[in-house]
Amino acid sequence: MAIITISRGSYSKGKEVAEKVAARLGYEVLSRDVLLEASDRFHIPEIKLVRAIHDAPSILDRFTHGQQAFVAYIQSALTQRVLKDNVVYHGLAGHLLLKGVAHVLKVRIIADLADRVASEMGRERVSEEEARTQIIKDDQERRKWTHSLYGVDPWDPSLYDLVIRIHKLMVDDAVDFICQAAGREQFKATAESQRRMQDLALACQVKAALADQYPDLAVSSEFGNVLIYTRTGDRQARRLDEKAKSLAREIKGINNVEIRAGVAVPPNAV
Amino acid sequence: MSSIIISTDLLSVGQMIAERTAQALGYAHLGRQILSSVAEKHQVREDKLVAALDEDASFWGLASKNRDLYLAYIQAATLDQFLGDNVVCEGLAAHLYIRDVSHILMIRILSDPKVRANQIAAQQDIPPKRARQLLERQEKRRRRWSLRAFGLAEADPSLYDMVISLSQIEADKAVDILTDTVGYRKFQPMTYSRQCLQDKALASQVRATLVPRFPGVKVQSRDRIVVVQTRTFKRNKRQKAEAIKEIAQQIPGVEYVEVHSNKDFLRQGKDSTD
Repeated sequence: MAIITISRGSYSKGKEVAEKVAARLGYEVLSRDVLLEASDRFHIPEIKLVRAIHDAPSILDRFTHGQQAFVAYIQSALTQRVLKDNVVYHGLAGHLLLKGVAHVLKVRIIADLADRVASEMGRERVSEEEARTQIIKDDQERRKWTHSLYGVDPWDPSLYDLVIRIHKLMVDDAVDFICQAAGREQFKATAESQRRMQDLALACQVKAALADQYPDLAVSSEFGNVLIYTRTGDRQARRLDEKAKSLAREIKGINNVEIRAGVAVPPNAV
Repeated sequence: MSSIIISTDLLSVGQMIAERTAQALGYAHLGRQILSSVAEKHQVREDKLVAALDEDASFWGLASKNRDLYLAYIQAATLDQFLGDNVVCEGLAAHLYIRDVSHILMIRILSDPKVRANQIAAQQDIPPKRARQLLERQEKRRRRWSLRAFGLAEADPSLYDMVISLSQIEADKAVDILTDTVGYRKFQPMTYSRQCLQDKALASQVRATLVPRFPGVKVQSRDRIVVVQTRTFKRNKRQKAEAIKEIAQQIPGVEYVEVHSNKDFLRQGKDSTD
């Protein structure tokens, strides 16, 4: 019983690895479904969500926080889907969207640029130069995206439990390692890690509900007690408090909601 | 049989994993214990060799010329040990100079950052926050060292077949992964991969012999033919090439030596401005 996130670059064979791991373990495989669900639930066109999770924020986005709201919707949809466990997620930033949950096995699949270029040339029927340019551009966008929203580099191996390079090691070898690791005691859901997952899902739900009006707030939850961190002044904080109280009646699982204005955001907040 | 190179962010963790893996496979453990014999062979202090592996060159510490010299000695000794196969190596920076040999499994082990920070806090009797700052500084220094000494960023995951973090995966499981993986067909030596290793070993022997007299030389080898690249002024070019050939040809295993001198960069600069 585990949740496996597989981070990958384009044409790194990460999708193939994810699908084979899911097939072998009998897990559900998630990627685009999360975007579709977020699109349905929050009435946002899928293309906007795809752009939000793929393209680095523009200068305008940094002021309007539009991208942060879209990411909050995606994170909310993802955390709801993985609540029931036994899931392999190979979309973008799973290791960051599900941070702080002990039974999440975080994997990154990498491949040499030359191998990736050859794959893209074969699949898209483009020249070597075009394929190389596209892959480098994609990599840069993803690095910028992760850095601007989370302040980390997705290529930093310390963000993952396992980084596997598909070169000498093949897709099936990677599948073996991941399945073995997922079976370890550390990655099995415990009452505590399951509770943490539920709190994360709850915090994400609250954040998604407030994201369009208050995109720069942070939310944490402990045993259903939700804390909302904001930098706004007293007047706006009072308005936020009223909104939060009404949310507490709408969202199942909330015991209590409190607003914390002007205090440091803890690392477990989303 | 194949070999394993382990790179790590904490020396003691690398040693522990390498020892356990070597024991499980019945391989030899190759670590910093070879430095005493290297020091004796080249008449240098062992602590200087350790410093070359751990510290960046600086005005107050190790000069870059000496660092390159000591690393050349270590490289030659390490590659010599690899020729025997069945080796688990750590702590000698082998992941930065033994590249592209298909039968060597390259692994990076990342220790739990909390454990590392606690270790520093306990050793230096400082608060955890300060220990984390020191850790970040150490990582930056290490990155600078690997870039300056070998032109590679040690933490780059594309240098390895696999990176395992010990934050969630315990050391015994990492040892299991290593012992299983090294048995894969891809890591079995072939004639070509053995030849690659022999070429690297010979090139590093030649370099270690030449570097004391000709710092900055680059050496490549293929099928006992050695190519030495050096920078020289036009007036010294012939003398220097002859001296290099004379020294290199005495090294066992060398059949033929070719010396390529880079252009006289100072004269070239002068001519271009005339």
